[in-house]
Amino acid sequence: MIKLRKSVKKKDKEVSESPKQNKETTNLTIDPSLEQTLKIFREIYTVPTNHDVIIRNLSIPGKDKPAAIIFIKTITDPQIIEQNIIKPLQSSTEPFQSIEDIVSAQTISTENNINQIATKINNGNVALFIEGEDLAFLFDASNFESRTVEKTENENVVKGPKEAFNEKAATNISLIRKRIKSENLVVESAIVSNESKNDLFIIYQKDLVNEKLLQNVKARVKSLDTNAIQNLSLLEQYIEERKYSIFPTTLYTERPDRAASFIEDGYIILIMDNSPDTLIIPATFWSFYHSAEDHYLRLPYANFTRLLRILALFITLFASALYVAVVTFHAEMIPPDLLLAIAATRERVPFPAAIEVFIMEIAFELIREAGLRVPSPIGPTIGIVGALILGQAAVQANIVSPIVVIIVALGGLSSFAIGDISMNFAIRISRFMMLLSASIFGLYGITSIFVMGLFYMLSIKSFGVPYLAPMTPNYISSEDTIIRRTLQKEIFRPGYVKPKNLKKRQGEN
Amino acid sequence: MKKQINRGKIIIYLIPLFILSGCWDQREVEEFAYVIAMGIDKPKDDENLIKITYLIANPESGNAASGGAGNEPPREVISFKTDDFVVSRNIANTVIAKQISYDLLRILIVSEEFARDENFIRWIYDATKEMEIRRDAKLMITKEDTEKYILNNQPKLETRPHEYFQMIIERGNETGMTPTSDLTTFFRITEADADLFLGIYSTTEKEERSSNPINPDNFKAGEFQYGGETNNTQFAGSAVFKEGKMIDVLTIEETRLTFMLNPTLTAQEILTTFPDPFDEKYRIATRLTKNGTEDIKINTKKSTPSIDVNVPILVEVLTNHSMEHYAKDSQKRKTLNKSFEQALEKKLNELIRKTQEEYKADPFGWSLIARKKFLTIPEWEAFDWMKKYPEMDINITVDVELGKFGRQGDIPKLKEIRD
Amino acid sequence: MEQSKGKIGIKEFVAISMIILSTKLTDDTPAILYEKLYNAGWMAIIINGIVTILPIFLLIRVITNYQGKGLIEVTNQLFGRFLGYIILFALWLGILAATIIDTAIYTDIVSSMYFVKTPTIVIYGVLMLASAYGAKKGLEKIGSVAWTVFPYLQVPFLIALILTIRHGNTSFLFPFFGPGEWTIMKESVMKLSIFADYLYLFILVPFLSTAATIKKGSWISLFFVVINLVLAMTSFVFLFDYNSLMQMNYPFHEVIRTISAGFITNMETFFFPFWLIGTFVRFSVYLYINALLFGHLFKIKNFEYIIPSLATLIIFIGIIPDTPTFTIFYLRETVLNILSPVFFFLPCLMWLIAKLKGDFKHEKANQ
Repeated sequence: MIKLRKSVKKKDKEVSESPKQNKETTNLTIDPSLEQTLKIFREIYTVPTNHDVIIRNLSIPGKDKPAAIIFIKTITDPQIIEQNIIKPLQSSTEPFQSIEDIVSAQTISTENNINQIATKINNGNVALFIEGEDLAFLFDASNFESRTVEKTENENVVKGPKEAFNEKAATNISLIRKRIKSENLVVESAIVSNESKNDLFIIYQKDLVNEKLLQNVKARVKSLDTNAIQNLSLLEQYIEERKYSIFPTTLYTERPDRAASFIEDGYIILIMDNSPDTLIIPATFWSFYHSAEDHYLRLPYANFTRLLRILALFITLFASALYVAVVTFHAEMIPPDLLLAIAATRERVPFPAAIEVFIMEIAFELIREAGLRVPSPIGPTIGIVGALILGQAAVQANIVSPIVVIIVALGGLSSFAIGDISMNFAIRISRFMMLLSASIFGLYGITSIFVMGLFYMLSIKSFGVPYLAPMTPNYISSEDTIIRRTLQKEIFRPGYVKPKNLKKRQGEN
Repeated sequence: MKKQINRGKIIIYLIPLFILSGCWDQREVEEFAYVIAMGIDKPKDDENLIKITYLIANPESGNAASGGAGNEPPREVISFKTDDFVVSRNIANTVIAKQISYDLLRILIVSEEFARDENFIRWIYDATKEMEIRRDAKLMITKEDTEKYILNNQPKLETRPHEYFQMIIERGNETGMTPTSDLTTFFRITEADADLFLGIYSTTEKEERSSNPINPDNFKAGEFQYGGETNNTQFAGSAVFKEGKMIDVLTIEETRLTFMLNPTLTAQEILTTFPDPFDEKYRIATRLTKNGTEDIKINTKKSTPSIDVNVPILVEVLTNHSMEHYAKDSQKRKTLNKSFEQALEKKLNELIRKTQEEYKADPFGWSLIARKKFLTIPEWEAFDWMKKYPEMDINITVDVELGKFGRQGDIPKLKEIRD
Repeated sequence: MEQSKGKIGIKEFVAISMIILSTKLTDDTPAILYEKLYNAGWMAIIINGIVTILPIFLLIRVITNYQGKGLIEVTNQLFGRFLGYIILFALWLGILAATIIDTAIYTDIVSSMYFVKTPTIVIYGVLMLASAYGAKKGLEKIGSVAWTVFPYLQVPFLIALILTIRHGNTSFLFPFFGPGEWTIMKESVMKLSIFADYLYLFILVPFLSTAATIKKGSWISLFFVVINLVLAMTSFVFLFDYNSLMQMNYPFHEVIRTISAGFITNMETFFFPFWLIGTFVRFSVYLYINALLFGHLFKIKNFEYIIPSLATLIIFIGIIPDTPTFTIFYLRETVLNILSPVFFFLPCLMWLIAKLKGDFKHEKANQ
């Protein structure tokens, strides 16, 4: 299907190999005649039909030549255009003063390729054309609308910074620069789509990042051939290796502090406009398991939460599957009191234990999904209705036994401890696989699926990095896996990303 | 890719088939009838059959969560003749609706009559074959028919049978009134063919007379006289098995003395009384605990092998009816100590004489210590411990250490009060 | 971006060798030993452990001499094309037989102790499916899985051990020499091949990160495997005494059925998954070595692809015997008896030839 679509698209492109405007402008340079130039641009932007594209004629008294500026009203700052461009131009009287000296805009560049100029204008630049000049002056006056920097929404912490990325790449980069004040921090940009020309920023520390890894990322980005990639969530799916795998291989975070700490370890991060997040490459299982707060909390507290989290992970994976396995295959392992209690509550339940658990699991997932989609004012209500009424009523109606409600609720609750949404999905889907195998083969099934899953997980590589590194295969690192060590002992950058400089600092010893 | 989807589809269709069909080992917990205790008897008329009695627990009794059905009885009993307790699981289903499960079977009850039968061992070994019977199940001997025993055994408060059996057996062990009596130990001792095995002895039949009016501690199940409104069942004493066949019953006191001599057994708290050396009328209540491990020296090289046992006992004196001040008088304490030692030694020697003369084997697990004297198993087996035991020269010494004298060491002088 | 080239480090190697050898205490190996040795079966492990030092030492000596070469290449070099081919073919038959018999035993354990009513072929199928899946992922992944799960296998094992010893009685170890010293020596040496897995592990030398891995790894794992096995074997005696023990088919599973901890009275299902994980890892390694040898013998370059068909073949041969508990018990004993001299004399022979050829001097001259 996908292949088919691709080929269709290619054909489209060939057939309509650009309407008039493209053909004309691709390699066209500006005509010294202002009239001619403006005509071309009117055509490109379909002025005056196009409402927010402004072409304003003006004259520069000093040069005594007609001139015109073109900009898009909605993405530029009127203040800058008014104060720093139009006013100085109109009030300049010196005939030999250069444009650079007249206009007080922040950046000035010149360009003579019409296509390039159009791109710049689309990015919020103001283009100045002067009669007789075969190039255009471009001043940056962009002002895209965006949120301000707000609090984190998904990766909340109690202790530590609360800033989050927003949809504006410049802000996001600024948030990172604020944390890494180093001349080695490089922000490369690349255009990743053919039509919408979406910008992608590749950020890394040039004295750390592994060249091969960087080349790999760049190569993948370059090889993209699509019309538009709106944001990182879509880009993620274009550049990842295993598209059908249930395990994520790139880390998605909204926290600048987390992104910065990954850069400092030699990782590469990607930023795009319209994404209130960054994409961290490569990602191991541990980066999904960790949270930002782990390093802000003091060591004992941090490791306590880490242990809770791994426990939660296992509960999510195994709770319901174990219940089904034990109740339908291995009843003898339950202590007598509990066994009789389970038998008593199940006496009037019409379904086998497996079906019973499936019903509740699916109900729980439904409540969860519904809770996400409903408009926020009714959200809590749905939660209460779903959890309380449904659970209670189901028990009273003898549809499910109370123990199953406990098991499913426990598993469901634990699943929230895994913060990363991709990993969260991975675990939840695996849970259903466990449940299935448990209902067919009991513990034998669970164990075989678990072992196979482990083999699968270990065979995953994220941009060449094994998924469970540095635990296995072994690499030099600070051994920040299930539990972390004191900050003083974390002297190595993770060896599996092959940073140029492995040692972060001199260790205690 | 298409192939993948097809395969996926097939799997998705197949999975519910597996779950819904409930095949193979899959079985829901509520589809079982859980046997808590199983009685095994010998029917009088038929040599090749046994009589099985199942005590089946009702999971719904006393369960608040199930809602309704609170009036159902906590148990169900069925008794019938069959070939063995493996096929009986099927036969029982002619009456019982649910599949019989031995998952919760914690206790095998055998009537004394069957236990004394030569053929008992043939049937009990079925337990090693049957998957669901565990080696840590308990073996209990009842004086009467097991069916009668199970029917008469109606605890008033611990109505859930598994709870009742678990509690009373555990408690019997702690106080040293009944032995531990694991199935695995039974097999082990029977196979080793050197020692005696002790099984829990119990009955629901009260005997009308008290066998030993002098010592109220010295009785076995059935001889304990009590009134009130409670269960009829008594757990007391132990059934003695020699070579897989029951030969006698030990009283509570003898069981406790066995606990003292047997290095593999430990009782946590034995409360018992001794005659007061200061006043014959009264008896002193004491708590006995093993004070370290008993020192057992065995000499197998001599023509009549000898065993020297030193039992260290810690005695805590709990009552003082003669109102003597031995707590603060070292002389009196010495007297007390000596009298305890003598009393214990006398009893122990009596017990040993009984085992040597009557049983011709020991229930003390001493063969395990004697084994250390041999280098190879053929040598050990040639020695034949059980045969040699009756002639052995056995010396018992008891080493009593007095512990605390109750919460309050002193009591008022009787003379001063009556002054 | 190929960062790891399928090589495994010392941790993974030790984990693999410990798992494939330690799982033997859970099958009928103890039963085979105790059958003839009464309560002294555990001594066989110590004796064999000591005897095994010689073949391992010689193997290390010979194989590390040829850098980066494994048992296969060295055999070919030492014995020549034809003889080397025959030896390797025999070795392949040995491991194939061992794999078939062992998988059949493990299937029998699952079906006789845990899943009584499930058809054997289904249990066998699942066992081989999981193992073949693992084996197909390659040695590096097997090593990683082995290392990941290893602590979680060792900890429950220690728990079981502590519980067993707590329930047991140390006096059962006496009389100390069971059937007599000579019987112990003789019977032990006959079963030397319990450690024959080491011979096969030397096939994996080209996949190890450094030459020191096999050297250090073998010694470390041998040491801990012997400790594991001895502890387990003695704890069986502690719990059951020799008479009962000699009658058991799978003592480990009887042990975990007997022990209890606090309110959990039936613990076998608690240990069952951990045992299974070890089993899967073990047969992944066996299948991989099988395929590796097969691939070499029949010139199949991408030998990983034959693993599924090999697994299927094993299933169909494995389910043939009736009453597997006993038939296979004797088959296994026979295989053990045949493999023992091979395991002992092959390394000696290799060392001797290498010596005669003067390959060791060559190495010294290089240094």
